[in-house]
Amino acid sequence: MNGTWHIPSDLLERYLGGDLDVAQVMSVEAHLVRCARCRTAVPGDETWLAASWERIEDAVGSPRPRPAERVLRHLGVPRHLARLLVATPTLSRAWLAAVTAVLTFAIVAAHAAGNGFPAFLTVAPVLPLAGIALAYGRWVDPAHESHAATPLAGPRLLLLRALAVLVTAIALTGLAAPLLPAMTAAWLLPSLALAGGCLALATRVPLPLAAAALGAGWIGVVAVTGGLTGDWSVPFGPTAQVVYGCAAPVLALVLYSRRHRLDPGEPQ
Amino acid sequence: MIDPVIDPVTDSAIHPVNGASSTVSVRGLAKSYGRNRVIDDLDLTLGTGVTGLLGPNGAGKTTLLRCLATTLAPDAGRMRVLGLDPGTRGPRTELRRRLGYLPQDSGFYPHFTVFEMVDYVAILKEMTDRATRHKEVRRVLAEVDLGDRARTKVRKLSGGMRQRLALAQALLGQPELLLLDEPTVGLDPEQRLRLRALVSLLGESRTVLLSTHQTEDVAALCERVVVMHGGRVLFDGTPGGLAGVANGRVSLSGERPEGDRLIWRTADGRYRTLGEPPLGAEPAEPTVEDGYLMLLGTSPEPVA
Repeated sequence: MNGTWHIPSDLLERYLGGDLDVAQVMSVEAHLVRCARCRTAVPGDETWLAASWERIEDAVGSPRPRPAERVLRHLGVPRHLARLLVATPTLSRAWLAAVTAVLTFAIVAAHAAGNGFPAFLTVAPVLPLAGIALAYGRWVDPAHESHAATPLAGPRLLLLRALAVLVTAIALTGLAAPLLPAMTAAWLLPSLALAGGCLALATRVPLPLAAAALGAGWIGVVAVTGGLTGDWSVPFGPTAQVVYGCAAPVLALVLYSRRHRLDPGEPQ
Repeated sequence: MIDPVIDPVTDSAIHPVNGASSTVSVRGLAKSYGRNRVIDDLDLTLGTGVTGLLGPNGAGKTTLLRCLATTLAPDAGRMRVLGLDPGTRGPRTELRRRLGYLPQDSGFYPHFTVFEMVDYVAILKEMTDRATRHKEVRRVLAEVDLGDRARTKVRKLSGGMRQRLALAQALLGQPELLLLDEPTVGLDPEQRLRLRALVSLLGESRTVLLSTHQTEDVAALCERVVVMHGGRVLFDGTPGGLAGVANGRVSLSGERPEGDRLIWRTADGRYRTLGEPPLGAEPAEPTVEDGYLMLLGTSPEPVA
């Protein structure tokens, strides 16, 4: 760094606004010690100093984000949303372990059966449904009562958690799918359609009821179709996939238009 | 049965304490769980100040607080809280921005730290700016004397500390209405006194409704007391007025009196009797507890 270099205005602005990382702050401050001209551009008023001290206090006094929060932040999730999501009951380690166990069982069944993998394809769309149904409410969330009296409680928090659970369940299923005897993605569109249908239906009936009805309905349809046609793959065939593919965005639109009527199954 | 006692400020049911405009107005409120009617045609108006809600288990105190906190919908009646109707979505969300609620059973995420737990609720209260939110979190933790426990996991806290943590959550955002359901449960005597001081200070500028079984808390910090029984208001007045219900019915004697009156031995070895004074007994100054016991034991009709 030579004697004619001075801190660019945009960098100085970010420094004053507290938006630089630690290394950049140290670099800027090392230069300020040597450069009188740049020092004059730094305000010395008490307000600025107080704000700086607050930032320092915050940096020192606030606990480091949890590992799950850091992962979410790396994925681009805003800091405050990351903290909200890590408290989702159906994103807990116990729940994720249960989902993994179910998927493992379905994969083992697929290898043992030798006639395809109906167990896996049937179970995979039900997992997000169960996760969404159990993501919110006084029966699953120990802190629900005090949180229910906050403005973000209700449909907004439920939708946020539902989306996180859906993405996680689909990611886990996606990771498990290559372990099947043959590659398939036939579970994906039914999963999306059922999750969308569950949330859309929850604008009319309580969410747990909607999830239970659709989950049972799905298993019933697969079983009855297989029984009637003798071919278990019909609900996963090309025609059915087109239906799921069309239904998913339609149901998402229905949900969006009626999102304020989403019923988390609360007494309110 | 005693004669109805008219408390001088019983009119506070219509005109809130301090003459302030009402922040809570409830008319004909009713709530049932199955066939069990927990709140029955209840009327209540609250203004700025600390109001104590007394009553035996099952009197409907918690249900009333939950209705006011918007976590439970009543079956019937009209409620206006901070001028808003909790029954409709938009005003309910706005109301939630302006109230603080400490439920009877505050649950926590045990793997969270104290700071994370309060920060989480601050986010739920729509404080999205990190620096401002963290400053507010530190402020409320300091208010409840948990500032040095910010990094402690919730599962490692004692019962009293958890209660203070729950209170810290309720204090976030300087709420205009504070609903506290048994806030002194689990607190040691020093913390209880600190809590009284804090609630008393808060009550100078906002409405605080405090449900409790502790009549001494009511006597110490409430300017108004509402006694509920069977889902209805049995008494509405000052703590002094409630104590006055037992005027002439509390006495001290050297020998244990006979009869089915409420009698207990005091620290000085004498017997305190609540009810018809026994012969030769010396009259004693009634307390809020005496009035409360007298009211529940002998008066089936609302005293107002």
